[in-house]
Amino acid sequence: MSDATANAPIALRPRPDPNHLGHTGNREGSRAPGRGTGGPAPKRIVVGYGFWVFILSDIIMFAALFAAYAVLRGGTADGPSGRDIFDLDTVAIETGCLLLSSFVCGLATLALSARRALLFQAAMAGTFLLGAGFLALEMREFAGLLARGDGPDRSAFLSSFFTLVGCHGLHVAAGLLWLLTMMAQVLTKGFRADILRRTMCFALFWHALDIIWVAVFTIVYLMGVL
Amino acid sequence: MSDTVSQDEGGDQRRHADTAPGDEFGQEDIGAGLRGYSIGLGLAALLTVASFVVLRTQLVWAPAIPLALIVFAIAQMGVHLVFFLHITTGPDNTNNVMALAFGVLIVVLVVGGSVWIMGNMNRNMMPMGPTAPMESGMPGH
Amino acid sequence: MLGKLSLSALPLDQPIPLIAGAAVVVVLLGVIGWIVFAGHLPYLWKEWITSVDHKRIGVMYVVLGLVMLIRGFSDVVLMRSQQAVAYKSPGFLPPEHYDQIFTAHGTIMIFFGAMPFIIGLMNFVVPLQLGVRDVAFPTLNSVSFWLTATGALLVNMSLVIGEFARTGWWPSPPLSEVTYSPGVGVDYYLWAIQIAGIGTLMSGINLTTTILKMRAPGMSYLRMPMFCWTALASNLLIVAAFPILTATLAMLTLDRYLGFHFFTDERGGNSMMFMNLFWAWGHPEVYILALPGYGVFSEVISTFSSKPLFAYRSMVAATMAILVLSFMVWLHHFFTMGPGGDVNGIFGVTSMIIAVPTGVKVFDWMFTMYGGRVRFTTPMLWSLGFVVTFVVGGATGVLLAVPPADFVLHNSLFLVAHFHNVMVSAVIFAGFAGYGYWFPKAFGFKLHEGWGKAAFWFSVTGFVAVFAPLYVVGLLGMTRRMQHYDVPEWRPWVLAASAGVIVMAIGVVCQIVQLVVSIRRREELRDVTGDPWDGRSLEWATASPPPAFNFAVLPEVHGEEAYWGVKQAARDQRRLREEPSYEAVEMPLNSATGVICAFFATLVGFAMIWHIWWMAGLGLLGAFATFVIFAWRDRVEYEIPAETVARFDRANRATRAEALASLRRRAA
Repeated sequence: MSDATANAPIALRPRPDPNHLGHTGNREGSRAPGRGTGGPAPKRIVVGYGFWVFILSDIIMFAALFAAYAVLRGGTADGPSGRDIFDLDTVAIETGCLLLSSFVCGLATLALSARRALLFQAAMAGTFLLGAGFLALEMREFAGLLARGDGPDRSAFLSSFFTLVGCHGLHVAAGLLWLLTMMAQVLTKGFRADILRRTMCFALFWHALDIIWVAVFTIVYLMGVL
Repeated sequence: MSDTVSQDEGGDQRRHADTAPGDEFGQEDIGAGLRGYSIGLGLAALLTVASFVVLRTQLVWAPAIPLALIVFAIAQMGVHLVFFLHITTGPDNTNNVMALAFGVLIVVLVVGGSVWIMGNMNRNMMPMGPTAPMESGMPGH
Repeated sequence: MLGKLSLSALPLDQPIPLIAGAAVVVVLLGVIGWIVFAGHLPYLWKEWITSVDHKRIGVMYVVLGLVMLIRGFSDVVLMRSQQAVAYKSPGFLPPEHYDQIFTAHGTIMIFFGAMPFIIGLMNFVVPLQLGVRDVAFPTLNSVSFWLTATGALLVNMSLVIGEFARTGWWPSPPLSEVTYSPGVGVDYYLWAIQIAGIGTLMSGINLTTTILKMRAPGMSYLRMPMFCWTALASNLLIVAAFPILTATLAMLTLDRYLGFHFFTDERGGNSMMFMNLFWAWGHPEVYILALPGYGVFSEVISTFSSKPLFAYRSMVAATMAILVLSFMVWLHHFFTMGPGGDVNGIFGVTSMIIAVPTGVKVFDWMFTMYGGRVRFTTPMLWSLGFVVTFVVGGATGVLLAVPPADFVLHNSLFLVAHFHNVMVSAVIFAGFAGYGYWFPKAFGFKLHEGWGKAAFWFSVTGFVAVFAPLYVVGLLGMTRRMQHYDVPEWRPWVLAASAGVIVMAIGVVCQIVQLVVSIRRREELRDVTGDPWDGRSLEWATASPPPAFNFAVLPEVHGEEAYWGVKQAARDQRRLREEPSYEAVEMPLNSATGVICAFFATLVGFAMIWHIWWMAGLGLLGAFATFVIFAWRDRVEYEIPAETVARFDRANRATRAEALASLRRRAA
């Protein structure tokens, strides 16, 4: 800041807004690397941002599945509707599992940035157990439906339900596989920069799955039993 | 005076920085980070419980329940974004927020557009309504 | 053990596919045999197949695109000759074969001709224009390319093993459901597109991240060349639209494989939902292809008019407006399916609105030429041809955006003429303009002008001769995809279109001859300075072909048209900039991850098509193992020493100093 502006009367100075909402700050634009004119961003930012874009594309894929569910939920073909098959107690436990696992995954991130290996492994193991618990409950629900003959081939409603919820479950399963891989990587390779980046991406993925689950339990389960 | 200057410096620091989503900006010790995650967990749990409670009790006027559920869901997504994914309004987050806004726009267009279009098609093309089995709704059967 | 696969999958009883397939296999084996026995395999493996260099991958994309364009064009020749002879007669192609040909034509042209061509150009050019050394994720880039190639391989396998879909290039249910298409044709389509689509999505993420996070110092968003802006919009559309396609095709796959009822029209299923979701991807896809085309024309017209692009900021605004609007018009692909007046009206209006930013662009190009010193090189000719034909195609598009008019013209040859008119001019013309424009940058010598101009004139004349009659015959009521017909009024127009294909074919031959002649005369066509066209953006600041590290030092950008500014300063000060201090450069190591992944993806795709479940599992396991091995490697980069960088840059500076001196001699 130049002396001239610093000595100007206080009343004439614009109120400083730390976040510069609504305008880009100084005239020549930001000198930040990446988003501004400071040259390429550091690798960590590039990787995190690229993965963020991937997560958004994944969310759009879920949006297409949600659209299919919203359009086809009335197509029960005289079969069961959501009210007949959804068990909200299970859903509540599933939701709790996933929310807690998201929190524990956050702990793992913190442990990683503090370079505390034992805490990291413990938190990741906790995340795994909660995620696996979620998955087990979901598989139990699916198995029950299949056993009653209310499988995805019963009606368009059940097709879209199984696909939407199953796709989320598939993501959780893939996440668990990734989680184990990251635990093994940290164990064998230590806190290498590329492993830190990958773990950051994993945490993003896991938190994003929880966001999608919020939409699933609200739109599919809660609004399905109304 | 000195207060404003230091605030400016804080803003300046973020103005010339860039963060990735999920990155904790200037929070390297566990304690401070843990506080953020705990607040997030608390708020998210509160909103989840609220959703379930609203559904199972008579607290909210029945026709407004879907709206209440959607409001709680959006609020909870916001909580997740802020406390777990560390998306903020800071200038170092501009790109992240812009990408998110674009994604949300597309989600709204695809879901809203599909429901609107298909609702109209069902009304116009199937006299029996969308819940009736299609076979009986087809002309000629 | 082998699922549905047996010897009866080979078309031993159908002569045309058998001969065509056998010829392709023989040629392919011949090429592979020649490569192996002539000892080129190690070179190809080290320098191309495992390369993670964006320039090499870009070139491979373009080669794949060109080969597939020829493959798609051979389908055209078959279809047009069938319609030429099939007046009151069954012609020489039976319906089930004809249906496969038009399906393959559309699928190949969109997914494996146009897409790789355009993505290849973006891959090659964008990092060079941004002044950086590579894309954000080099190995992922290689994976993307090889997955796209896998898709192309699967589609072409269907020529010999089994059959391809007979549903048209969008596999509309219930026709594409297992009840009406029990064969493997639709499965070939689904798995080929799904695998290639994953590759495209990853490439979209890669380039979006590159443009938003990796630019040379000083290059703010509003200093980026126009091509980078259009590439940004196109890749954002890929990121936003391809997941919808993935989900939609996955739903159809579940219908076919596990008896789901998404689109079956039974048990509550709704086939119109497929149309809705497919076109929610399909319309943005049009702009995924067209926007980079607009970018190519912006670069070419500005360079060869020796003027900055007219109204750069309005062009940026128009590009971003198209980005958003392209997601609000998809219903105009199915006005006639009965969504009613309200919905049709609104989507009709949005479809007309999207013509406005496109019109802004046309005016910007024309005003760029106005008052400039226009050089009529081959790329410039393609651009001019584009402006004329594209305006015609765009105007018929606005006509079709009026729902009542669309009710008359839907699925007629008028529609076919319209979308070929816009897509071929905006994508294929752009592809060839970009191919001629950046070829010297990629290989260090220019393409032969004479043969290039011949290719242009034959192609454009043929193109107009094919599609002008189709507009007329469409208005006369001829629908698309007719295997035979018996209306005498249509006959002359259909014959005229078929004659046009012959002219176009000459253009294709000229294109090939141009490449061969240029390679043979490369010494006289050599581009020594790295700036053969007096260019304005940063790709012309480095040598032709650029070194692996692109730039010895990342260039500092001080305004729009970064390289023009540098040249201007050199002319004013009568010398080049001070020699920079060179440092060693870290570049990513080659990796076979991409090609190995593609191998396993081919395995999975082929296994799923033929219901060989164990092989699919094996393929998935192999792909995961490949990623784990990639994640475990310890060395990811190699160092290019400062002396090598310096030697390269000094040689390039010497040619430019020489060019500057000769400029001054001429001025004096």
